[in-house]
Amino acid sequence: MAGSDLFTGSLDLLLLKALSWGPMHGYAAARWIRVSTKEGLNVREGALYPALHRLQAKGLLAEEWGITDTNREAKFYRLTPAGRKQFAVELERWRDYSRIMNMALATTRSGP
Amino acid sequence: MRRAFRIETRSRSKKDVEREIALHLELRAKEFEAGGMSPEAAREAALEAFGDRMEIESEVTEIHERAVQRQRSQEWMGELRQDLRIGFRMLRRSPAFAIVAVLTLAIGIGANTAIFSVVRSVLLRPLPYPHPEQLVQVWTDHRALGRAEPEWLAPPDFIDLRDGNRTFSAMTSYSGWGPDLTGSGDPESLTGMLVGGNFFSLLGATPALGRLVGPADDDVGAPPVVVLSNALWTRRFGSDSSVLGRQITLSGNSWTVVGVLSPGFRAPIQAFTPEIFRAIRRPSNSTCGRGCVTVRAIGRMKPGISVGAAQADLDVIHARLAQEFPQTNAKVGAWLVPLHEQLTGPSRPAIVTLSIAVGLVLLIGCVNLANLLLGRAATRAPEIGLRAALGARRGRLVRQLLTESALLATVGGVVGVGLGIAGSRVLATLVPDDVRRVQDIGVDVTVLLFAAAITILSAALFGVFPALHSVRSALAHAVRSGREGTSQSTSNTRRVLVVVQLAMAVMLLVGAGLLMRSFANMLRVDLGYRADGVALTAVTFPGARYQDAQAVTVGMENLLARLRQNPAIRTTEITDLPVLSIGGDQDIAPIPLGEPANPNLPPSLWIRSVTPGYLKAMHMRLIAGRQFTADDRQGTDLVGILNEYAAERYFPGKDPIGRVLLRGSAPNAPRVTIVGIVATGRADGANAPLKPEIFVPFTQRPARGVFVVIEPSRDLAAATRAFAQSLKEVDPLIPVSAMLPIEERIGSSVALPRLYATLVAIFAGAALLLAALGVYGVMAYSVTQRQREIGVRLALGAAPSEIRRMIFLQGGRLAAIGLLVGLTLSILLGQFLSKLLFGVTPFDLPTLVMVPTVLGVATVTASWLPARRAMRLDPVAVIRQD
Repeated sequence: MAGSDLFTGSLDLLLLKALSWGPMHGYAAARWIRVSTKEGLNVREGALYPALHRLQAKGLLAEEWGITDTNREAKFYRLTPAGRKQFAVELERWRDYSRIMNMALATTRSGP
Repeated sequence: MRRAFRIETRSRSKKDVEREIALHLELRAKEFEAGGMSPEAAREAALEAFGDRMEIESEVTEIHERAVQRQRSQEWMGELRQDLRIGFRMLRRSPAFAIVAVLTLAIGIGANTAIFSVVRSVLLRPLPYPHPEQLVQVWTDHRALGRAEPEWLAPPDFIDLRDGNRTFSAMTSYSGWGPDLTGSGDPESLTGMLVGGNFFSLLGATPALGRLVGPADDDVGAPPVVVLSNALWTRRFGSDSSVLGRQITLSGNSWTVVGVLSPGFRAPIQAFTPEIFRAIRRPSNSTCGRGCVTVRAIGRMKPGISVGAAQADLDVIHARLAQEFPQTNAKVGAWLVPLHEQLTGPSRPAIVTLSIAVGLVLLIGCVNLANLLLGRAATRAPEIGLRAALGARRGRLVRQLLTESALLATVGGVVGVGLGIAGSRVLATLVPDDVRRVQDIGVDVTVLLFAAAITILSAALFGVFPALHSVRSALAHAVRSGREGTSQSTSNTRRVLVVVQLAMAVMLLVGAGLLMRSFANMLRVDLGYRADGVALTAVTFPGARYQDAQAVTVGMENLLARLRQNPAIRTTEITDLPVLSIGGDQDIAPIPLGEPANPNLPPSLWIRSVTPGYLKAMHMRLIAGRQFTADDRQGTDLVGILNEYAAERYFPGKDPIGRVLLRGSAPNAPRVTIVGIVATGRADGANAPLKPEIFVPFTQRPARGVFVVIEPSRDLAAATRAFAQSLKEVDPLIPVSAMLPIEERIGSSVALPRLYATLVAIFAGAALLLAALGVYGVMAYSVTQRQREIGVRLALGAAPSEIRRMIFLQGGRLAAIGLLVGLTLSILLGQFLSKLLFGVTPFDLPTLVMVPTVLGVATVTASWLPARRAMRLDPVAVIRQD
């Protein structure tokens, strides 16, 4: 994933977003992020896993073991109700944050 | 166990994580392959894209494991909360049980905590000196001369030991000192010590002010200086630091105060609390030489030296002295006692006995609770069965019951510690002064830890077995729905527990019985002198103003004359050492003149100077000869009255009247003509051995420090006032000491035996009560279990009295077995008590009769209610019930 470095917390947000589509295993979540960012992020795929487990430990994700399309046993993550709520909150925060940052960074004059 | 558990969860999380990551890499490689890579290159690329696999695996495992653990402990806490909630509910539902349980535990734990605070202070805590294990009391061994107790030291012997040894880093001597303080304020008799120059440095004492007595003060001709105890400085000098350098008048002489001891200092002596110290300054050869034992000694052994090695070292010196001075030292040795043992040894048997007694009370209490819990098992079986049916594991059910026990134990323990702290305060005032002078008694962290430990232990003792048993029988009950088998095993267990309880209660009853009998014996003993109606007070004629024997005699006679004129006083006499004083002067190896050589002579003879009417005033019975008269005085023939014990030993088989005793083995020893024999009194108290004594006329052997014996005409208060007035008229500078009735002296000599007997009796009573409760519980349970059988019997025509007999017999059988086991154990453990007994052996018949009687009454009482219930059962109702 060559490209931009991640801002703090943005990986968590991306994972929550990925899982908001429905339960998926780690590889699927990684693939979704890779595809949806057009490989524009500079992050090792492995870094996903600590993030997933941390979210699970916080109770935002739940795990269940299931069968993949290719008939393999895999650990699936799914948003818990708390995770869903957290996703909404984080999304709102990110939008505010990026709007403010964009506004500030787009300003062309040095004074009011 | 916890460790294994951790490893197990860790390996599981690790495996899950590895699987998850392996799947990722595999799927990613497939993706690359689909993009046209060779399988080899695809795997490489997948790994490359993933990052450091090992590191990520271990990081994730760590997160996972921590989450699992947190979840487990949350579950555990949740279960605990649930158990506590159920526990509280169960206890609230049976408040009587809860109260009995908490009280039983509180009393048991409280009593143990209180007694342990004494054990800790007296037996376990090191003495308050640096390296206390190096300190030994050095005695002279007179056992070869027939004296069983260790003896003081003769100063020349002490100097040879101090200077000739190779195993001590220091050795110091000391003895008592009783100066009168006059000047500012009322004159006062002080209790003090004469100490060697190295006394304080040997004990590691530090001054709060100024300096302590040092080696330079010990030189003959050194300026007269004293050191005050912190208590005296506070009490008499208002903690005024300008006391340093002040001149004070002690027994008429001027002394300079050079220092004050720090408040924590404890003199290593039991008999009194010294308040003032001066250097001993004893010339190396005191007047009576190696025959006179006048000092005590303490040694500090070099690091690593054992008492045995030090003893061997001093033995060598004594062997040399025995050769050099055969007249005085032939049969004399050294006798070392570790200082801790010296100071605390005498109270050890009593403290150990009390510890065993309270330990038994707690054990009986725990057994009682175990029994009660077993009894509840039957009532709780349906509830437990239901919970099991709802899926609770056996471990959870046991834990639930254990939580209830722990809850009871915690409440009992907290209340118990409160009782223990209060009990410890009371005990501290009851424990003999000679122990408290060396160590403070109180509850410290160690004692609290002990209380916590016995609380946990008690919970385990009374909780674990019933919990396992209840769950097992409830589950069996649920499966088989038949109750005969399990309830039968429950009642068998409960019977065994009751027998154990009864046996322990019997042991306590035997102990209490023996101690009470000892105490009664002490009160019954004929002391050989009057035990009431007289009072004693101490007077000292100070050397500065009463320089010779003549002056002392005159002063004493002035005082007596004034006292005898006073109508408030019926009789008054004087002695240098009254009964129950412990100690005093003795002649070493007196020789009956002209008698055949006798190897069985007592090694020493205790001397008491008395005025002519003393023996009569004290109701000491003259057996033969005459009393002293006013004609027995300075300048006339020396005369003496022996006690019967001494007369039989110095003049066996002969009439001692008119015979002569050499008071000592020196050639110029005084020759005393025996003029009378007095019945032997128990000079040191009812429980102390008899002593050979000689009474001599006060005027022929005057003493500065005397005791005035007064028999009041009407009441003691008037006599006390009269005495104070008369003494002031004779010499206003002599302090007036307390006037103590002889009852108090006698009372304090039996105070300890009374305390021990009372405490053990209280514990035995508690034990008996608990054991009786145990019997009641088992009998009541048994009647419930057997009501069907009893109903059938009644229906078949059995008389209610037969049923009652059956129940009583059942209780009687338990009592008999408990009695048998308890008595056997008591006899085996009787040796423990023998040191505390007086005039009683561990096989004391009255005690062995009393205990079964008491136990029998308790058992019958405890069986009464269940028996009555059995008699009144309605056969029809009972039989129909099933």
